[in-house]
Amino acid sequence: MTGDTREQVVLAEALADFLRRVRHGVEEGLDPLAAAQAAAGGLPSRLRNAVEAAAARLSGEYHEDEWGFDEQFAEAVYPVFEFLYDVWWRVEADGIQNVPAHGRALLVANHAGSLFPFDAAMMTMAIMKEHALPRWPRFMVLDWAFELPFLSSFIRRCGGVPASPHNATRLLFEDELVMVFPEGVKGTGKPFSERYRVQRFGRGGFVEIALRTGAPIVPVAVVGSEEIYPKLGDSPTLARAVGAPYVPITPAFPWLGPLGLVPLPARWRIEFCEPIEVAGHDPDGADDRRVVLDLSEQVRETIQGKLYENLVKRRSAFL
Amino acid sequence: MRRPARSGAGSRRSSAGSASSSAVWARTSLKSTSRNRGRRNLSLSLKLRLRWAPRVAEWRSSASRASGAPRSPTEFERDPGVDHILGIDSRPPPSALGRTEFIDADIRNPVLARLLPTTGVETIVHCGILWYPEPGAPASALHEINVIGTLQLLAACERTETVRHVIVRGSAAIYGCEGASPYFFTEDLARAAPLRTRFQRDISELEQYFENFARRRPDLVCCMLRYQPEIGADLDSPLVRYLTLAVVPVQLGFDPRLQFLHADDATAALEAAIRKPVRGPVNVAPSGSISLSRILRLCGRPSLPIPHPLFAPAMERLAGRLGAGGLLGDGVRLLRYGRGVDNRRLVEDVGFEPRFDAVAAVRDLATKTRGRRIAPDLHPGSLAGRLAGVGR
Repeated sequence: MTGDTREQVVLAEALADFLRRVRHGVEEGLDPLAAAQAAAGGLPSRLRNAVEAAAARLSGEYHEDEWGFDEQFAEAVYPVFEFLYDVWWRVEADGIQNVPAHGRALLVANHAGSLFPFDAAMMTMAIMKEHALPRWPRFMVLDWAFELPFLSSFIRRCGGVPASPHNATRLLFEDELVMVFPEGVKGTGKPFSERYRVQRFGRGGFVEIALRTGAPIVPVAVVGSEEIYPKLGDSPTLARAVGAPYVPITPAFPWLGPLGLVPLPARWRIEFCEPIEVAGHDPDGADDRRVVLDLSEQVRETIQGKLYENLVKRRSAFL
Repeated sequence: MRRPARSGAGSRRSSAGSASSSAVWARTSLKSTSRNRGRRNLSLSLKLRLRWAPRVAEWRSSASRASGAPRSPTEFERDPGVDHILGIDSRPPPSALGRTEFIDADIRNPVLARLLPTTGVETIVHCGILWYPEPGAPASALHEINVIGTLQLLAACERTETVRHVIVRGSAAIYGCEGASPYFFTEDLARAAPLRTRFQRDISELEQYFENFARRRPDLVCCMLRYQPEIGADLDSPLVRYLTLAVVPVQLGFDPRLQFLHADDATAALEAAIRKPVRGPVNVAPSGSISLSRILRLCGRPSLPIPHPLFAPAMERLAGRLGAGGLLGDGVRLLRYGRGVDNRRLVEDVGFEPRFDAVAAVRDLATKTRGRRIAPDLHPGSLAGRLAGVGR
């Protein structure tokens, strides 16, 4: 008998014993809950701890920070993303040492994945799995997602906040790691034929934030996110009907229904580049358009260059 | 209508006139020295209607409120530095006042503009902004009371020469509730989002009047307190009634981030602002935030998720029980998207730090309302807790 099956047998016996004790308790005239409470003492500690943790969770005794980030929840969904990271997309991360272990930093990445952009999730996984001192980064999410039921609370509990400069600035002043995608919808909504061409970086708002808070900018190049939902076209009518910025049409979506939501198993590479220190700049430089646009262009070019390098290194998109 | 005694008014007015020449900061520093002499030229008019802040302020404990007798007078009634306190309302206070003089007047009535100058007050506190309809103030009258009432009050302030400070107990509803908004609104972000509900438009309108008034009269210190919703075990508001329902309807898939201010902090913040009025808007909110799902778990109330298009009609069915006409517009959005505000200005400028943070305020409500349950305790948290043998 292997160790695993022996453990299962012990657990089954403990459960049977627990139920037996509850029945005895009820037969002796206790109400079912009191009987269960009395019998719970006999459970193995692991099961007892699990029940106690669930009880604490259900009675609200858990921590949630002022941004609504719920670490317990994030840890609970961690295995799902770990599967995507390790097995489905076989992500390789480079330059993880460029992510500061302490203090504020602004991670700036290219944005892709028309239907559900997973790049923030995979960057989070890379930091949590590969970094010597893992910590949960916060990420800026397209405003529209926060109008949606389920998705809004899911994203918030995993550390997402609405993409607003006020939120990013406040998070950086609190010394958090913040991920932004300055391309926004222009990045996720571009057709498959334009993959890995970094779009305009808005008006360089992220540089202003970095200058105001003195946070170093870490450019990040993400390869692989473009192939998970290749966007062949879009449906403006459908987009207007649901109020979405765009509704992509991929080889599988919407033709295969829910199956179309399964992302393709592309191979990913994530490279964290050398941080660009802005501490030397004057914080008033945030109002100087020349400084802001120059820095913004420098970050964009770094990412674009690294994207080409990593595309070559990846060799095959799917195999 | 009962008129205030006029004998003392003249002397107050003359003494107030001498104080008015000094700058605001000088006045505040003057306070401490003059308090040592046991006399201060501050008279205070609590300008109120219906939901009476002093009722909250002065008789906070549930026992005394239930018996209808004030147990402890307000902080200001005991303060020898305060000469005179007036309370103005269209309804008599529920219990006897200490040395607060009560004037029976309606805020919407222009007679206020003739009455107020005779009192010789220095500080006017406007607590007459209603969040929810009440007996005697149906939803249709809220606009009238909130906006026109404030206008009448400002007109009366213009005529009252002795006035130095005007403090309005407003609402953070001006920021609105949006899915995608800053998680902590600072004071300069008012009206950044479209004004969507009736109440939000009313607050925005009256703040506009108030800002214009402040600009016209730079000699006065005009302070707008933007309150987050208030909770407290002995507070009888639709929100508290909603949170203490046996089964609480929520909107399926939405879990708003909320900040509820503890009723004690709400009162103390008002008192702090009266003692140290600052110019411009100030957010009054606890630190941190808490999600609705965690609030209900802490309170041990099971939730009933309703698809969000059906939530407003469902609340309408419950409205009679909640007395919550106000929950229908603003409350529905608040309970869908939530709202957080930044309270640094309150802490740093006014110098008041709320004693309860967002979680502690809910915990306090939970401990004090636990006994009110009529139905058996069916919350999964307490069931699992009993199963595991952990005492709750």
